[in-house]
Amino acid sequence: MKIKYTLIVLGLATLIGHGPAYAETPAELNDLQIAHVAYTADNIDIRYAHLALAISKSEAIRDFADTMIRDHTAVNEQALALLGKLKAQPQDNFLSKSLLKNADVLIDEMSKLRGVAFDKRYAENELAYHKAVNGLVENAFIPNIENSEVKSLFQAGLKIFKVHQGHAQMMVKKLN
Amino acid sequence: MMKFDRRNVLKGSVAAFAVTAFTSILPYQTVAKARTPKNHIIEIQDFDFDPVSVNVQPGDMITWINRDIAPHTATASDKSWDTGTLKRGQSKTIKFMNNMTNTYFCRFHPHMKAQITIVGEPKISKSKG
Repeated sequence: MKIKYTLIVLGLATLIGHGPAYAETPAELNDLQIAHVAYTADNIDIRYAHLALAISKSEAIRDFADTMIRDHTAVNEQALALLGKLKAQPQDNFLSKSLLKNADVLIDEMSKLRGVAFDKRYAENELAYHKAVNGLVENAFIPNIENSEVKSLFQAGLKIFKVHQGHAQMMVKKLN
Repeated sequence: MMKFDRRNVLKGSVAAFAVTAFTSILPYQTVAKARTPKNHIIEIQDFDFDPVSVNVQPGDMITWINRDIAPHTATASDKSWDTGTLKRGQSKTIKFMNNMTNTYFCRFHPHMKAQITIVGEPKISKSKG
């Protein structure tokens, strides 16, 4: 389990472009920090989707992007409603900051691409991104979340994001 | 207590004639009694339609209820009918007729597929005379 978890952290660290030199780890985050990471990760995928809608002419890519916006927005609405009910505010943290920093780099890179080159990069990134975040949610976040309602929301969210991962996998396969 | 005066006797005669006339027609008249349409509930949960296959008779209603956080639709495979976007907790009822496309999917998550099977014409019962 420890090896698996280390691999996930290393995988995410690679994805976000940093080595594992942090004093903090995802497993040490509290519920409110975890909620912030999830909210940030949702919004990043929505940003990627808006970029895809602005650049791609592929119907399949555009449909996928629409679904990402719709589903991640729905999850974020549920998360905000729950935080409101719990009278809690999500807390910014090292992982949210790293995810945002990496997203800025990726958006800059992808915005220079056009046609099939963009579609492939977008689809590959969606697959890698969902894989990394799903691994993190399943193995580092859900086991450590203390509040049962927050845990339940993450479990429901994970089901959605695994479907997205499968969908992205099919897109990558079709584009290659 | 009813009085047997002339006016009441006349009223009684008219009523008796009306009943006789009506009942004498009945043996020759077919009274179509339509089957009460059923409402079939299909829940959308964990990216599945549950049940994935439902048997209906023409005229039955089907109600889709979305239990997922993610929005879904139930859309005919040829897009001839559509529930529209169903957010969590929302539902939509559609009357299902014989000529309607009976396979459907979720427009947002196309791997979600299901079907409706038409099991027969609605039965018409005839009243006895």
